[in-house]
Amino acid sequence: MSSRDTLSEVTVLVRQTLALPESEPISAQQLFFYDLGFTSMDLLDLLFRVEQHFQIEIPEGTIYRLARGELPEAEFAQDAVLTETGRARLMALLYDTPPQLFPPRIHATTLPRFCTVGAIVRLVDHKLAAQQCSS
Amino acid sequence: MFELIQTIKIDVEKRRALATAFVPANHPLFADHFPGTPLLPGSLMIELAAQVAGPLAEEFALAQLGVERWSILGMVRDARFLHPVFLPAHLDLSAEVSRPGSSTVSANVTVAVEGERVMQAELVMMLLEASADWARAIEARNERLARWKAS
Repeated sequence: MSSRDTLSEVTVLVRQTLALPESEPISAQQLFFYDLGFTSMDLLDLLFRVEQHFQIEIPEGTIYRLARGELPEAEFAQDAVLTETGRARLMALLYDTPPQLFPPRIHATTLPRFCTVGAIVRLVDHKLAAQQCSS
Repeated sequence: MFELIQTIKIDVEKRRALATAFVPANHPLFADHFPGTPLLPGSLMIELAAQVAGPLAEEFALAQLGVERWSILGMVRDARFLHPVFLPAHLDLSAEVSRPGSSTVSANVTVAVEGERVMQAELVMMLLEASADWARAIEARNERLARWKAS
């Protein structure tokens, strides 16, 4: 599935989550919490819809694990706050989020707050590709 | 609000809770719902299911995450009311953790009457840190839960 297809499907799910009309434009660059006015419950609702629609699983902590990669836990975060390295890795993963939005101290539980619609599209593509590889 | 649940059994390892409730026909809530034909409102079925999913979420969070949390209903998903429930009625309720998390626990819930499923939904229970102001509420919750478990 191409990224463009995924984007159009995700935008439909975003509209459904917020009960927005079809005429409401949603773009990959928009931030869920800053631009679209998402709450944490909205994001959870969207993730349920994404999981159901694409038949994938996005467990809690997915962004955290993707950003950390193979880096040892202690080098990525300490006392649930990202280290300098951890912060840099998160910013690299979420490269389409304006850098000025990342505060110096980022709590590990707040990572989804920095996601754009495009980041979720990439996540879905990543999951779908992994699913194809394993099948 | 909490007097309708009669028993509860929580099995954290199996991630589920089973409960029973009795809803009388003459409860003041149903005086006009409907006159002569008391019918259990769907919203109350959701509330009763949340009263089962809540303690399950709290005990699950304590066992899995080692944190004491106060659970309240955050979201209702995919609710289906399959049959009307005329009162009085004995209800069998079940809740099973479907999506564990550190700030929310989701549970698939069902309500059945005489073996027939009358409602199903997924409830997202929010896990909140209790503040000192909640001491009375938590005390009442603990008493209530102990009573339900002992019955």
